[in-house]
Amino acid sequence: MKYFIGVDIGSTTIKIVLVDEEGNMVDKIASPTGSMFNKNAMNALNMLLKMNQISLDDVLYIVSTGYGRKLFKIANENVNELTANAMGARNSLGEDIKVRTIINVGGQDTKVIMLNEDGKIANFFMNDKCAAGTGKFLDISARNLEIEVDQLEVLHFQAKDSPLPINSICAVFAESEIISLLAAGHKSAEIASGIHYSIAKRIARMAGRRRIEDAVLFDGGTALNKGMVEALENELMRPVYVNPFPQFTTAYGAALLAKERYELEKDNL
Amino acid sequence: MKKKINKIRQYINGLRISRFRFWIQLISFFIFVYGGYFFIEIGSRLPIFSCPYVPGSPGGCYLLGVQHELNSTWSSIFSPRGISILKSLGIFLAFFLVLNKAWCGFVCPLGTVQDWITKLRMAMGFSFTRYDQMSFKRLKVIKYILLFLLILIPLAINNSFFGAPKLPHGMHTPFCQICPARIILPLFNGDTSQIYIDFTDTTTIIMTSLGLMVAALFFVGSFVKKRFFCFFCPMSALHYIFSRFSFLRLEKDGSKCTRCGNCYRACDVGIIEIADDITSKNIVKDDCIMCFKCVEACPEDGALDIKFFNIPLYTASHEGFFKRYGVGDENTKPINLDELINSKEEKNDKNNRSQR
Amino acid sequence: MLATITDDFPDNPENMKYFYDKYKSLTSEESIYPKDKKVIASMCIHVPVEIIHALGAFPVRICSGAYSTDMAGSDLLPSKICPMVKSTLGAIHLQMLPGKAEPEIIINPTTCDQKKKISEFGEEVGAEFYTLEVPPTKDTEEARQYWHRSVKSMTKKLEKVTGNKLSRRKLRKAIKKVALAQAHFRRFMELRKGFPVIWGKDAILVVNSYFFDDIDIWTEKLAALNNELIERIKNRKEIIGRQAPRILLTGSPSIFPNMRIPILVEQLGGIIVYEEFCSTSRMLYDTVAVDEWFLYDMVPSVADRYLKPSTCPNFTPNDDRIRKILRAIEEYDVDGVVYQTFSGCQLYDLESRRVSNAIEDAGVPVLNIEIDYNPEDSGQLTTRIEAFLESIKDNKRKNFKK
Repeated sequence: MKYFIGVDIGSTTIKIVLVDEEGNMVDKIASPTGSMFNKNAMNALNMLLKMNQISLDDVLYIVSTGYGRKLFKIANENVNELTANAMGARNSLGEDIKVRTIINVGGQDTKVIMLNEDGKIANFFMNDKCAAGTGKFLDISARNLEIEVDQLEVLHFQAKDSPLPINSICAVFAESEIISLLAAGHKSAEIASGIHYSIAKRIARMAGRRRIEDAVLFDGGTALNKGMVEALENELMRPVYVNPFPQFTTAYGAALLAKERYELEKDNL
Repeated sequence: MKKKINKIRQYINGLRISRFRFWIQLISFFIFVYGGYFFIEIGSRLPIFSCPYVPGSPGGCYLLGVQHELNSTWSSIFSPRGISILKSLGIFLAFFLVLNKAWCGFVCPLGTVQDWITKLRMAMGFSFTRYDQMSFKRLKVIKYILLFLLILIPLAINNSFFGAPKLPHGMHTPFCQICPARIILPLFNGDTSQIYIDFTDTTTIIMTSLGLMVAALFFVGSFVKKRFFCFFCPMSALHYIFSRFSFLRLEKDGSKCTRCGNCYRACDVGIIEIADDITSKNIVKDDCIMCFKCVEACPEDGALDIKFFNIPLYTASHEGFFKRYGVGDENTKPINLDELINSKEEKNDKNNRSQR
Repeated sequence: MLATITDDFPDNPENMKYFYDKYKSLTSEESIYPKDKKVIASMCIHVPVEIIHALGAFPVRICSGAYSTDMAGSDLLPSKICPMVKSTLGAIHLQMLPGKAEPEIIINPTTCDQKKKISEFGEEVGAEFYTLEVPPTKDTEEARQYWHRSVKSMTKKLEKVTGNKLSRRKLRKAIKKVALAQAHFRRFMELRKGFPVIWGKDAILVVNSYFFDDIDIWTEKLAALNNELIERIKNRKEIIGRQAPRILLTGSPSIFPNMRIPILVEQLGGIIVYEEFCSTSRMLYDTVAVDEWFLYDMVPSVADRYLKPSTCPNFTPNDDRIRKILRAIEEYDVDGVVYQTFSGCQLYDLESRRVSNAIEDAGVPVLNIEIDYNPEDSGQLTTRIEAFLESIKDNKRKNFKK
């Protein structure tokens, strides 16, 4: 059995995905990026290989992507993370659902990638200047509500009244708004769902300026938060899909690209 | 072989067609104003103002023919004798279809006179005027009205339309009576006999006075506006009806046009469509005299093209444009990229073969 | 910036050296302009340079691409204004015009809103501005007549400023001088249609230097560069492989040293084959056609060339720009278009939707970017341009395979 590997070296986390010759995901691993990209990525890779009892010789092609992709020395090729994200997204929901829009809310940035019918990148918007509308805002809010980030989801579904609107444009000012809401006696549940809607509104504004096409894939670590998913669906007024491994979609895409590139090279030889 | 043809075409496209036109106009003027003296005879169905009132003319203008032929009763026109009207039209078309409206720009002696008056104006340093778009649109119908009248009036002399009284016989060739060519062209033969007022009856007084006024207006108008008369010419209107069937064509390729307006600037008559219309292929409009100054002024390769049937004769090119400006030299000649690439390859191939 | 342009790329043509040196001279302490000629500055492509040449003066276009003067200009102007306008006003204020130009007068056309209001700062920055009235449309007769009168007024003003009178002979000479430059320029653009023999960043530099160079010398050096490029074509010396995405650049004008986008595109594997900018190709493409060589026709001819063929978004409608870009896409075999807008530039921003849609309908992908003069903040730009180029390369590869 031969394999392909995709390595996504993000700004905080390294994600590695192993796929087989058919393109099925076999295993995956995540580990902190730290400051020594190459070393940490190699360690993670070796761990993944050991977990599956295979050696580097069984791997036919490696593609790296993400922030630190050019530093991963043993990669055969590196690709831009948008390309990898698009590839992963198209292949992660099965044959019937054609992803045309990817909303990737990461820890540090938010990307909206629009694909055309063939799966090629038609347009791309990114917010990396401002924390509002990214996962960072959830971190800040969770801290203000004195809970863990993954509890936000739970709180969301406990809300009995409608979500409290958070009006501040800026995450820093939103913080003070949350604190004043708490001080006024409002429940954390409504505040949590309000936060989710605030982020969803911002995303909808950024994406909605151009034409959003179905199907929409919600990607990135934040997609695990079902409260966020609900808020986003309501703001975009359309169903929003989440695949089983939203943090690994880009790495998965890189692995699939590894398979594709390898096959192209083989034909050319 | 193809390369040679291209080289010839390139050379032709760099020439000044206005120079060529000047000489053709001169020769044509000679033929149509003095040709009769040299026993040249070309019939009387010509598509230009080869005026039979000119003693030295080799033939007659078709408009005179039309006015004569229609100066009959309906019964006469629709009888077998009336076939001569069609035959007449046929001969006119046989001449016209060959050169299209280039008859106006290259051959018509009245047009030539206007161009000479324009040169006189330039020599005197005076500027010219143009019609604004509103006036242009309003005034251009006059030629159709004149054409309509010169067909209607002879018929109305012999037939009663809807019970109206017949027109007086004094209006027998109404257009010729007011045509400036009748009065002006004979002057080149030293004949001033057409400058007169016919005092026979009221109709003739009015018609011939009108004729004198039109001739005077012709001089003044041509001095301040290029090809002043051509804008009102009923022959031009008649041409336009059949223009699209002609063999000589002026065609535009809208995809190459940048709408820069150079052609509009150069146009004596002031036709804006040459510049702005980017969809039509046949760009000859009713006012066009096919002088081809537009093609000379166009700097885009292939945007404007003079074709005979489908053979391109003279095409707009940027090389030609810059050459006519006197700024073309070895360093600005257009390059054929494919030729450049292949030239080295051929040399390499030859070297390789000889090395084996 | 100049160092990046020259050092980071291999295979710069020999004849580019003259142009690189010319740019180095821009920051000189002494004026690089001939002492015997008055300098007339202009702030837009719509100023007829033929008339300036004919009056014996030296035309310099002072539209600025410098970030340093952008910051200076921000002291005088609101922050959300086009950076080019801020940069230019800042340069005038600090007396840091290119090549230490000391213009007699600055001709400021009433094209975009932001630019035309600069004239009101004349006293504050110690410069004399002349407002050249440009009509807001270019197709109507009224616009044409208005423009003719406007150019005549400008001519009269310049005659006073230079102390020379416009003569038929001098204007004819000036028109031919500019026509020669245009002829060489067209040849230069022809040479970029085949496989790449010169980087886009070099091409932009060459044409951009028309802003401030002596026209005769510029034409001569361009002719030499053209010959070198022809040799390169004959010897098949490509500077980048055939699979490199061929990019067309359009939008708010890239002016040295604000060359971030072209440099990024080419550093990331693309090649710019055509730029539709008023700082490059639009300056030299259209021609003057004179019917009667007298002043009464020559001055309107020159004026007409600056109005009707213009594809500046200042005019409405501006479908000619879409046609021009589509034609360039076909003639230069373009794979992708990068449409850049300066933040605060409303005109190009307003046109971007229609133009992008028209280009996409023609089957060519468009990348819309908004930038300012700030040299930092390249992270997102890099990602986006890279992804754009990669997707084009991918397409080309797949199509090639077929």
